[in-house]
Amino acid sequence: MKEVARHVVLPFFAVLAFFGCEKTPAPPSASPPATPSPAAANLASPATSPAGESTGDAEKTLHIFCWSEYIPQQIVEAFSEESGLKVSVETYSSNEEMLAKLFAGGGNYDIIQPSEYVIEGLIKEGLLTPIDHARIPNMKNLAPEFTNMSFDPGNKYSVPYMAGTVGIVVNSELVQDDIKGYNDVFQEKFAKNIVVLDDAREIVSWGLESLGIPVNEVSDENLAKVKPVLEKWLPLVRVFDSDSPKTALLNGDVALGIVWAGEGAILLNEDQKFKWIVPADGAHLFVDSLAIPKSAKHVQNAELFINYVLRPNVSAKISEAFPYLNPNVAARELLTPAQRNNPASFPTADQLANMQTFKDVGEQATKIDELVTSLKAQ
Amino acid sequence: MTADGAASSQAAAIFKRRPGLVAWLVLAPLLAWLILFVIVPTIMLVLLSLGEQKGLGTVHFTFTLKNYVRALDWTWLKVLVISVGYALVTTGICMVIGFPAAYFIGRSSEPLRNVLLTLVMIPFWTSFLIRTYAWITILSKEGVLNALLVSARIIPEPIGILYTPFAAVLGLVYNFLPFMILPIYTSVERLDSAVIEAAYDLGAGPLRAFSQVIIPLTQPGIVAGALLVFVPSIAMFAITNLMGGGDPPTIGDVIYKQFTSGRNQPFGAALGCLLLLIFFLSLWITRRQRAE
Repeated sequence: MKEVARHVVLPFFAVLAFFGCEKTPAPPSASPPATPSPAAANLASPATSPAGESTGDAEKTLHIFCWSEYIPQQIVEAFSEESGLKVSVETYSSNEEMLAKLFAGGGNYDIIQPSEYVIEGLIKEGLLTPIDHARIPNMKNLAPEFTNMSFDPGNKYSVPYMAGTVGIVVNSELVQDDIKGYNDVFQEKFAKNIVVLDDAREIVSWGLESLGIPVNEVSDENLAKVKPVLEKWLPLVRVFDSDSPKTALLNGDVALGIVWAGEGAILLNEDQKFKWIVPADGAHLFVDSLAIPKSAKHVQNAELFINYVLRPNVSAKISEAFPYLNPNVAARELLTPAQRNNPASFPTADQLANMQTFKDVGEQATKIDELVTSLKAQ
Repeated sequence: MTADGAASSQAAAIFKRRPGLVAWLVLAPLLAWLILFVIVPTIMLVLLSLGEQKGLGTVHFTFTLKNYVRALDWTWLKVLVISVGYALVTTGICMVIGFPAAYFIGRSSEPLRNVLLTLVMIPFWTSFLIRTYAWITILSKEGVLNALLVSARIIPEPIGILYTPFAAVLGLVYNFLPFMILPIYTSVERLDSAVIEAAYDLGAGPLRAFSQVIIPLTQPGIVAGALLVFVPSIAMFAITNLMGGGDPPTIGDVIYKQFTSGRNQPFGAALGCLLLLIFFLSLWITRRQRAE
């Protein structure tokens, strides 16, 4: 009897293993190639498309709604070619813009790319589709510190795409001082020589950090504490720009600024004179994830795409175009040493530990906006 | 004046006749366009301004006036005053530059006139955003203008022109100047030179001829031009942000932020309604002036 059981069970496991293989990625994409060059070469090569990935929805379309300047067109085209899906991409330039379109009955999006605090809110309101982890085996490529984050425990609804920080860029030809934190930036001698992000929540978070207050504690009381700080800071600013703060720095119109790390990384690549400084006071870490809205019509195609961008070689390509903090460890190994050692793209573990992510602050967002507007117009 | 009066009463009589089916059919596309893209959005804007935003972005229609109460706070009125200031300065400069240009074009010979008019309109062939970015490369510290001035030894070192209110006004004037020139040009073109000659014959100096004959006769063009420049430049924020560095904030920018990061669409709508009110007010003032 035992003999019989063994004969039945063994083939059973063999069959299981076989089907299991179909669901998990084939080795080529799991273990990164030894040389970094293939990252560029075989985006659409069949070796990287295991059989398990090829099942999608009956309807061969996918509608992506993502940040502008975040998913390279080349990646979208390569995915479309490989999967045979017709992919359309629409972009937005702020989380709130995306939400507005989503709420306006945008049932047409299969993938959205919200930041952490928006994911939290969307989950709370039940607006996301849970993700089938079995269909996204490449999730194993993600660094452990970027999975199971507080805004989505267990990654039930979202998969990190890129992360990044906010930090200080200094043009060392114009500024010799040792800049360490926000207070060093906002000095009288740099008046009208500073670019900052045109983002009220960011600006308020710098003030909070300089006072040692956690960035998510935006009570009226704390906002009142931040007010005198910002009152001194904001008149010193020359340019408020969230879209392309690097322009003012590149053209020499300002000497220093507080910008997105992705922009900072580009500046560092552009010219040695730019230095990246992670504020000693602490900084904001943002994580933009891919998620599937409840109203999505092509959930399986969306999962196919998510799994695709998590491939090491694809993710490395994205890093090359937009040098943010890539949560994909397998992809990091494919980057050139210069890319990997860019301090703006990849902060050290110590620096990361000192960073805070934003939580949804609800209606306080209105007060934050009012505070900053009134101080800008003073 | 009497001929004019007769003409207008005749026109009124035509208007009193009920339009036929054909007239309605001809008008239908325009009416549909107006209803769909002007009236309906305005009603939506007003309704939105009476609501409240909850949570991530859903708007509840509570018919509250609190957005308007908040909009009248000095924080926002100040922004509005700044924007109106920008718009007034822009309109003034456009008028000073635009009138002589339009007058010259209107008085020049036919072939030259066509060339000049084309030159005025050529910038419209490119998106204003691209033209604004071009200004950034011209005005920036390491830009074309500074390089020229330094190499010509006019200034010892590059000066910061970009990201100042001056640059913002420059951008506004540059973009809206054609809107001033074109309506004035049409007025100037219709201006009968015999009238000006008559003024001279009757002993008026150039100044008097200009102020008492030319200006009143081209006034419709001037008023139309002023409106066409003033109204859009109040709400314009792309240029003031890109060339002025977003400092000080303008009302267009503040409204935009209410719909995005400020997360208060109803409040943005209330500010938008205030702006509409200003537009109606300026229309009404110019109307009254014309009536006088």
